[in-house]
Amino acid sequence: MLAIPSSIIKDMIAHARELAPHECCGILSGSGGTIAEGYRITNILASLSEQDLKRFDGAKLSDLKRLSPEERSDIAFQMDAREMAMAQRDIRSKSLDLLGFYHSHTFSPARPSQTDITIAMEFESYRAKLNFPEPFHLIISLEHPNQPVVRAYRIQDSLATEVPIHSLP
Amino acid sequence: MIKVRIPTPLRPMTGGKSEVEIAGKTVSEIIENLGSAHPGIKERVYDEQGEVRRFINIYVNEEDIRFLTGKDTPLKDGDEVSIIPAIAGGT
Repeated sequence: MLAIPSSIIKDMIAHARELAPHECCGILSGSGGTIAEGYRITNILASLSEQDLKRFDGAKLSDLKRLSPEERSDIAFQMDAREMAMAQRDIRSKSLDLLGFYHSHTFSPARPSQTDITIAMEFESYRAKLNFPEPFHLIISLEHPNQPVVRAYRIQDSLATEVPIHSLP
Repeated sequence: MIKVRIPTPLRPMTGGKSEVEIAGKTVSEIIENLGSAHPGIKERVYDEQGEVRRFINIYVNEEDIRFLTGKDTPLKDGDEVSIIPAIAGGT
């Protein structure tokens, strides 16, 4: 169970809608199984060079290379590292933990893609050494624009397991 | 020697190793020496202006170097440097 204030759920959906058709992204702080605050992070994918795109795996890299830089943000996101570091610093100053990451799927269901799982496992490989707790991965789907769906997952051993969301008033 | 954690996308350049030991007194020296020992890595970490690329965080132990003294951050034996790409994903 992941408890999230309804205001944060609304803001993640608003963020996704504002950036559509591009994917939005952000991080969530909190403690235990309760989210306290959300941080919108800039999706810098469109500004990445061909060299930078190599951080994506083979299949996604081929897809990205076929698109214009602007269109690439419709099918992927890359968080701005500086903004992420600043948010992490703010989280630490409030004695909270970095509890989760969110991003939107503009045209597809709220399920982690293979790229999401690969990069989550990449994060998993160094997470404990940097003293981060195991994160929740949230996806906001705008597949049906009038009925946005938000789902949360744990990703372990390359498997995504859905965690029910409890919306707090 | 400083232990340097290599992210998955750069491991082909370190023969698959996730950690390497590199000599250096600052983060900048570590990246230079890492680039000499494993050609290609420096260009993936720094942009054309010699700044850390916008999607990469470099940590000394658990602190991002942007909140220390950047690439000039001094290192001592036992410190660990982690090169970490910020979270990404996609549909």
